[in-house]
Amino acid sequence: MSDASVSGARTVFLDSRARQHEFTRMTRRVLIVDDEDDIREVAQMSLEMVAGWEVIPARSGDEGVRLAAESRPDAILLDVMMPGMDGPATASLLRERPETADIPVILLTAKVQPADRRRLESLGVAGVLAKPFDPMELANQVSSLLGWPA
Amino acid sequence: MNAPPRVLVAGLPDSLASLLARQLRGASVESAADARALHSALAAGGWSLLVAGDALPGGCARDLLRRGESHPPTLLCLSRGPAGAPAAAELEAMGVARVFFHPLDLQELVRQATALLRREENGAAAGADDLGGAVRQAWERFRGTILQRVDAVEEAAVAVLDGGLDEERRRHAEREAHKLAGSVGTFGFAQASRVAREVEIILQGSQPLGQAEALRLTDLVVALRRELDRPAAPEPAASTRDPAPVMDEGAPGRPPPPLLLLVDVDADLAERLVMEAAGRGMRARVVAGVAEARALAAGEHPAVVLLDLSADREGHGRELIADFSARTPRIPVVVVSARDSFTDRVEVARMGGLGFLQKPVSPAAVCDALQGVLKRERPRDACVLVVDDDPVVLAEAARLLGAGGVKVKTLSDPYRLWQALEEHAPEVVVLDVDMPLVNGIELCRVMRNDPRWSSTPVVFLTSSTGAETVQKVFAAGADDFVAKPIVGPELVTRITNRLERVQLHRALADTDPLTGVANRRRSEELMGQLLHLAARQGQPLSLAVIDLDHFKQVNDLHGHGVGDEVLRRVARMLERFFRAEDVVARWGGEEFVVAMYGMDRDDGVQRIAELLEVMRGEPFEPGSEDPFTVTFSAGVAQFPMDGAELGTLYRAADAALYQAKEAGRDRVLPTGWTGEQGGAAEHVDVLVVEDDHTLARLLLHALDTRGYRSRWIEDGREAAEALTGSRPRLRARVVLMDVDLPGMDGHALLRTLARERVLERTRVIVLTVRSHESEVVQALDEGAFDHVAKPFSVPILLQRVRRAMRA
Repeated sequence: MSDASVSGARTVFLDSRARQHEFTRMTRRVLIVDDEDDIREVAQMSLEMVAGWEVIPARSGDEGVRLAAESRPDAILLDVMMPGMDGPATASLLRERPETADIPVILLTAKVQPADRRRLESLGVAGVLAKPFDPMELANQVSSLLGWPA
Repeated sequence: MNAPPRVLVAGLPDSLASLLARQLRGASVESAADARALHSALAAGGWSLLVAGDALPGGCARDLLRRGESHPPTLLCLSRGPAGAPAAAELEAMGVARVFFHPLDLQELVRQATALLRREENGAAAGADDLGGAVRQAWERFRGTILQRVDAVEEAAVAVLDGGLDEERRRHAEREAHKLAGSVGTFGFAQASRVAREVEIILQGSQPLGQAEALRLTDLVVALRRELDRPAAPEPAASTRDPAPVMDEGAPGRPPPPLLLLVDVDADLAERLVMEAAGRGMRARVVAGVAEARALAAGEHPAVVLLDLSADREGHGRELIADFSARTPRIPVVVVSARDSFTDRVEVARMGGLGFLQKPVSPAAVCDALQGVLKRERPRDACVLVVDDDPVVLAEAARLLGAGGVKVKTLSDPYRLWQALEEHAPEVVVLDVDMPLVNGIELCRVMRNDPRWSSTPVVFLTSSTGAETVQKVFAAGADDFVAKPIVGPELVTRITNRLERVQLHRALADTDPLTGVANRRRSEELMGQLLHLAARQGQPLSLAVIDLDHFKQVNDLHGHGVGDEVLRRVARMLERFFRAEDVVARWGGEEFVVAMYGMDRDDGVQRIAELLEVMRGEPFEPGSEDPFTVTFSAGVAQFPMDGAELGTLYRAADAALYQAKEAGRDRVLPTGWTGEQGGAAEHVDVLVVEDDHTLARLLLHALDTRGYRSRWIEDGREAAEALTGSRPRLRARVVLMDVDLPGMDGHALLRTLARERVLERTRVIVLTVRSHESEVVQALDEGAFDHVAKPFSVPILLQRVRRAMRA
């Protein structure tokens, strides 16, 4: 059967090139910086599969800063505890550089003490998410912190 | 990017198709005018999304979907009306992503369509299901790495036992625990995450760690391994945060964390408890004296009270227990005391106290006990789901109900009701009658059509209390209604009424209907909690399996009515005989199981034997021509010697019960009993002969959790008797023995085993003191296979055990 048998079919083809571009832009791009392979991979899967975002993984703060400047993601998820340059240090470096200064940063932390959380929240980041996170919900949590429509 | 996604619109006005074409950027939208066209379009395939109305010329879209017509993700638009609303199960069977009712919320429809297309685009139509599988696969890949973190923690625990955990290794272990806490929950191991958190907290700071901390750490390591050893992540959802952002949690109405009241607890313990409680999401208040406790309780209902009776000379504390326990709702009280006497325990239980802890006790153990009580008080957290489009009403309802200690979930989007019902399985649903697009009455009717929710109480919120509305509300299957605006007490009272009825039903599901004692399902939960508590507190626990003798004859000779009466009376006796902290249950026909906390095997046998004595003296049908007595046989096993799990304990006790039956019934036997006949020898992998309880417990723990069958004997002579003779009652592949033993020292035991030729089939590893080299040489001369110097590391010892077994 072909479309011809769809009686009364009314096909609306859109101006493909211009629309295509807009459609691509709808796909969010998120950079994940975490030295722990397991968590980074699950977070990546989760954002890709649940929200359909494009995810760029980075294994360290240095790599994160470089990839952020290169790929200009819509948001950066940053683990707090990393060897070398940790999350807060990476966040402040990102803010110092004009090409990454306005990309919202969300910190991921396994710290539970309210004092720790308050300290992290005061770093001028878009939000702090608790680890362990629920892979089903991570994208939702990120969206709601950033005010992105679900 | 490939070809543009194709959207099929069927049975809906052209204006909607144009709207979708405008709004779904990059998509091509086509429409099918009748059922036949829809059928052929679906058959042709290649669609990313179907938006279907119900009424099509020549057929009904739902019929096509119900027939299992293969179709892309589908949004179904239905007309309002009782017949129009399909049950959740039906929607699921049809594979419909969302249902919309006319008049349509076009903005929401476009939003959903966009979301579904985006998922399609990324090849993850069933994103959620796929993600679960992907997470499980990732877990398989990373399991090894994660278990290495557990190793690091274990090494730290062993180093503390050895008395030498240096700063660097401690910080390393702390970091690894922190990482575990932050990661394993994501793979679905929420409990393991909490355990790792506790490890992290113990390792934090720089205060020196003692033996108590070391044992706690080894316990936690064992718990971690056990949790992580489950075949695969059970549920991918394991966040410690609120799992559903769909739910507008109504922050101002969030119920406060449970309040824990510490009465007369000494400053040191109190301080550590406050911290421990905070880490577990509880608030703790410290008060001095009974009067202050009463005053505070008058203001806010504490979830649970911990009362220290160590210094209670005038009996005020005991009065407080009685007072708090008698209130409705009662305030549960757990007692901690430096004295541990049986009479104290019994007295506390009689006053209504729910637990008794003996000092010294770790803050973690106290919190475990308190949380256990909280859990028992509210077997499952009562959850109320409030659905209303008005955020103000939601916040107010959440605040009022939350203050009453009820878990409240609020939902402003009635279309997510099915999802919310499945996610929270609420005990009561509160529905607004008037919501835009969909009304509560319609939702209620749909709920009533789904067997899963047909009996969940529904309470309506309505601004009109006219006869017509009221009649409609009840006709739809509602249980009650409350007029808006909400006035505090009314809503709370009505909801509480419903909750109590639900909980009564639950209680019925937890008890054996004939005898009123706990049923098997419920008692397994409770016994599991007791075992956990016993492990944490280093207390023994004995488990008795009791089976009435010749019960079939009672039924045959006296009729089933009398048989039932016998069972009821036995249950009542058991309940009278055992304390509140014991668990009594009926597990099958004439089989009862009792878990006795804090009792070792011999105490347990003694108590069950006393009960048997009473039974023998109380005839049934005493006034009749044919009075008769009933006896029972019982077997008693002890935690942890006979098993660390309920299953193994039960089997051990059941084996002893079988022996009791074989030996002539009407008796109580402990495990490991050898009659004159001598049963067949018991085969174990490792026999631990060690008089240091702490060390023995540690060893058994380590062996048990690695799947070795093990057995512990404290006394050298007893070990010699068990292993030797013409019919030894115990055969072990490996014996781990201390040198200094009561009864018979290790050297004498070794010589006996050599003489009796036991060493031909059993390898002995001697635990020696490092400095005593001559002792080692002597032991090896006497036939020992290997020796390990104390203090030793558990992994190393286990490696030697494995080597001895392979040899």
